[in-house]
Amino acid sequence: MGKLLLAIIAVILAPIVGGLIAGVDRKITARLQSRFGPPILQPFYDVLKLMGKSAMTVNPMQVLSVWIYLASSMLCVFLFFMGSDLLLIFFVLTIGAVFFVMGALSTQSPYAQVGAQRELITMLTYEPLIILVFVSIAMVTGSFKVSEVFGQQKPLLYQLPLMFIVLGYALTIKLRKSPFDISACHHAHQELVRGVLTEYSGPQLAMIEIAHWYDVIFILGLCALFWTTSFTGMAILLILTYFAELIIDNVTARMTWKWMLQSVWGWGLALSALNLLWLYAG
Amino acid sequence: MDILVFTTVVLPFLAALALVLLRDRGSRSLIVIGTAVVLIASSLAMVGQGSFEYTPTSLLGIGADSLITLLDFVLLGIILIIALTKLKNFLIAGLTIIQVLGLAFLEFFQPGGHATAAPAMFADKLSLIMVLIICIVGSLICVYALGYMPEHEDHLHLAKSRQPRFFLFMIMFLGAMNGLVLSNKLMWLYFFWEVTTFCSFMLIAHDDTEEAVKNAARALWMNMLGGVAFVLALIFMQKSGMSLNLSDVLSPGFSAAGAVALIPLFLLCFAGITKSAQVPFQSWLCGAMVAPTPVSALLHSSTMVKAGVYLVLRLSPAYAGTMLSGLLAMFGAFTFLTASGLAVGQSNAKKVLAYSTIANLGLIIACAGINTPAAITAAIVIIIFHAVSKGLMFLCVGTAEQKIHSRNLEDMRGLYMVMPKTAIVTLIGVLTMLLPPFGVLMGKWMAIESAAAVKYMPVTIMLALGSGLTVMFWARWAGILFSTPYPKNVTPEVQPSTVRLPLVILAWGALLLSLCVPFLYSGLIEPAVMSSHKAAGYMLESFNFVSPQGIFYIYPLWVLMGVGVFFAWRAARKADPATYVGPYLCGIQAKEDAVAFRGPMGANVGYQAGNFYLSWLFGEERLSYPINMVATVLLAVMLGVLLGGMI
Amino acid sequence: MSLMNNWINKGRLKSPWVMHFDCGSCNGCDIEVLACLTPLYDIERFGILNIGDPKHADVLLVTGTVNHRNKHVLKNLYDQMPGPKAVIALGACGLSGGVFRDCYNVLGGIDKVIPVDVYVPGCPPKPEAIIDGVVLALEKVKALLEAAG
Repeated sequence: MGKLLLAIIAVILAPIVGGLIAGVDRKITARLQSRFGPPILQPFYDVLKLMGKSAMTVNPMQVLSVWIYLASSMLCVFLFFMGSDLLLIFFVLTIGAVFFVMGALSTQSPYAQVGAQRELITMLTYEPLIILVFVSIAMVTGSFKVSEVFGQQKPLLYQLPLMFIVLGYALTIKLRKSPFDISACHHAHQELVRGVLTEYSGPQLAMIEIAHWYDVIFILGLCALFWTTSFTGMAILLILTYFAELIIDNVTARMTWKWMLQSVWGWGLALSALNLLWLYAG
Repeated sequence: MDILVFTTVVLPFLAALALVLLRDRGSRSLIVIGTAVVLIASSLAMVGQGSFEYTPTSLLGIGADSLITLLDFVLLGIILIIALTKLKNFLIAGLTIIQVLGLAFLEFFQPGGHATAAPAMFADKLSLIMVLIICIVGSLICVYALGYMPEHEDHLHLAKSRQPRFFLFMIMFLGAMNGLVLSNKLMWLYFFWEVTTFCSFMLIAHDDTEEAVKNAARALWMNMLGGVAFVLALIFMQKSGMSLNLSDVLSPGFSAAGAVALIPLFLLCFAGITKSAQVPFQSWLCGAMVAPTPVSALLHSSTMVKAGVYLVLRLSPAYAGTMLSGLLAMFGAFTFLTASGLAVGQSNAKKVLAYSTIANLGLIIACAGINTPAAITAAIVIIIFHAVSKGLMFLCVGTAEQKIHSRNLEDMRGLYMVMPKTAIVTLIGVLTMLLPPFGVLMGKWMAIESAAAVKYMPVTIMLALGSGLTVMFWARWAGILFSTPYPKNVTPEVQPSTVRLPLVILAWGALLLSLCVPFLYSGLIEPAVMSSHKAAGYMLESFNFVSPQGIFYIYPLWVLMGVGVFFAWRAARKADPATYVGPYLCGIQAKEDAVAFRGPMGANVGYQAGNFYLSWLFGEERLSYPINMVATVLLAVMLGVLLGGMI
Repeated sequence: MSLMNNWINKGRLKSPWVMHFDCGSCNGCDIEVLACLTPLYDIERFGILNIGDPKHADVLLVTGTVNHRNKHVLKNLYDQMPGPKAVIALGACGLSGGVFRDCYNVLGGIDKVIPVDVYVPGCPPKPEAIIDGVVLALEKVKALLEAAG
């Protein structure tokens, strides 16, 4: 019962926390660029404004896809805070990701089509790696359940340092940050106009943004699983990780999808194999 | 019980004979639909009766054993004649002669192995599950063929209909499959195995074009190679003094004999590998896609290729805990990964389905190799749900192909405008193959978790990579079906009811079967796993699948996603056509056509799009050779390791 | 609902996404617009983003003379922006055609094609003037929204 309550509270609070994280993201990025940057509540203003725009539909399939994307992202966060199976949660996440791509493919727009294909390639890039992160967690705790991780005496980071880097790859891709922001970039950075997001507008775009916040909360939750023994440790880990993401975003340039596929799979698989081997042998 | 065995195994052979004698369309429809009804009813009745053992003594006065042996030689003789006269293929002739000699050796020079107390046929829950799939999915596909084939022959401008021959082999095949899964005697299993090979050959070559005959010959020699392995396994077993019965092979302690037991097991699994078109034999299945769609749906996705993995799965308790098991798991996972990769590089829809089938069969073999109760559960779950969903997908592709006259994915863009009902059924097929809470994904989840539970790292890594690849080719297929202008006034397409009904039934079946999976599990799957592996893989707690490793929610997922889908559907229905705005084309969109833009000299440049096939990485031409090399090496290593154990 | 409306109105004022279109300008005005995006002027602190997709944009910032060739493009872009939206005509060329007013291909001002809400004169206008113009457009939108209730 307690878990259910926690999960429901998480689902309600996640967009708020996600939006604040996005706002802090923009603020710190601006400061890194010697600017002032927007207020921290800016993402909320953006979403509210988008909700008030008049509707423009290219294909009703877009509307269907966006709602299912939002529903599956909410369900992910709900299941995560219920402490359930990581692999199952991940497959639920793919429901939304698949429908998101389907919505973009349903428009006959060159930018959306190429953006959707690139989105599929980014999914191809990070999905196996996240599954391997889960497998490694299961190897340490003996179960895929989130709740099992909290019973550990030592932080997972001690035994899975390389897997955390692999998760960092997935985080960078999910956050749509350089050098992996090839299908659509956050905010004003353009790639193929707006890539996979080109033909979404108004209320649909607002819902996509909120679903994105849910996704960010989920991925940060995964990062948090690597230090469950103390809250301060968890907070510091998350802050340092996110700050590292900001630095990487501001320091690197956007690369090609071929490079992304080759380097992320290459390094990701190598690091995973190393870490898993070390676990298995030890 | 003998009545049900008769109706599922023998009756289809008789019906097939009747189809050749009564060649008019009305009789054909009657016989096919009648057989379908009888098969479905019999399979349900058989499941209702539960597990059984049965030894038919005689048919028409001839002893059943002798009859089977006789028919075996006759069949091999027919294949030999075809190989020498029509195909002029000496490889097939050679392989057939080896099998004839081997069979003769078994029958006449090594007596003993027939007279045992073991029943000739037996059915446990696994066999009953297979019978259900064969009878229900198989019958629906045959009914679909009734509507499909006239159009197909029309398209080919055939003067004389070849449908009697087509349905002869389709229906006969159903009987052979039922016989295969119900056999306990390995000689009988071998006979039915070769019948399915023969039916597959005849059906692939059905259109009688040069390409069809060439691909049929390839299928034949690869399957004959499996047949040779089968016969060699039987000779080996008989020479070692083992009796040729599954029940004896599955008795505990069989593998304790060491390499003497493992080598025939490997050979039998090798036969299964060729039958299921695993790497390096995948080319026969891809070549078989030239056959008419019902053939691809029935033989090359739902049933015949399942015979191979059925055998591997059936034998899994025998090789549990041995090195063969671990190597099989690696082999299956390798197939899963490479076939998924090959599917990403394909634009031919039937080949995408073929490679996806091979990948899923590889997944089943990987689960059989992992050999824990959880993994075996995964294998059975995938067998059931894959048969339904993949059969459905093939029927959809066939239906679409007859309308748009192409099986290229690029030509299926915007299929929703031309064939809305088929497009939606295809979408259901793709979603049930790919997403939770549907069965195929649940099987994949179970497979990955069971691989992680036994810490098979290479297997787990390959499964993870393959899983990511499957999303890519399914998601883009589902997406481009709806790549249309604003869908206004979309008229539903006209389809004969023999085509529409199987599509609708299979689509609903896929959905409802996933909804009822807890009951399917407790009724059929769990007893099957308990009887072979003496433990259950998963417990059902309030209808959720729970194991020490994790939990898969069923009804909570259905309800919560169902609510989401409901709201999504409502919102999509409220979309107002008046809010339509064309795509962004930098402001130079043409006035008359919202998806074209004003190009040079004021002429319109139309809309064109294509999928990323990544052929530089996943192309068939590029990838097949290295994959076949590695797979052959893997098989050689397997055999070498086992032979080494003998020496 | 009225509370929601208030929030949405606040969002509209605090998050104007700008799409910049060059209708044949000498690029003088465009460089000044670019300058606004730099850390020195930093219009992102007002929530302004330079968005390339009309479907995502609220404010259309147009520079240059509209001519018979690109009037279709301008109209198409304006039509593909969902409401509520505003148009800012930048620079002398945008107001009236500037020094090119009497050329055969020049229409003579953006308001000949689409309705303009704010005119920012100058050749080129300084970044401060551009920012002033955007703020003026926002106030105009605010007044419109308050009038609508």
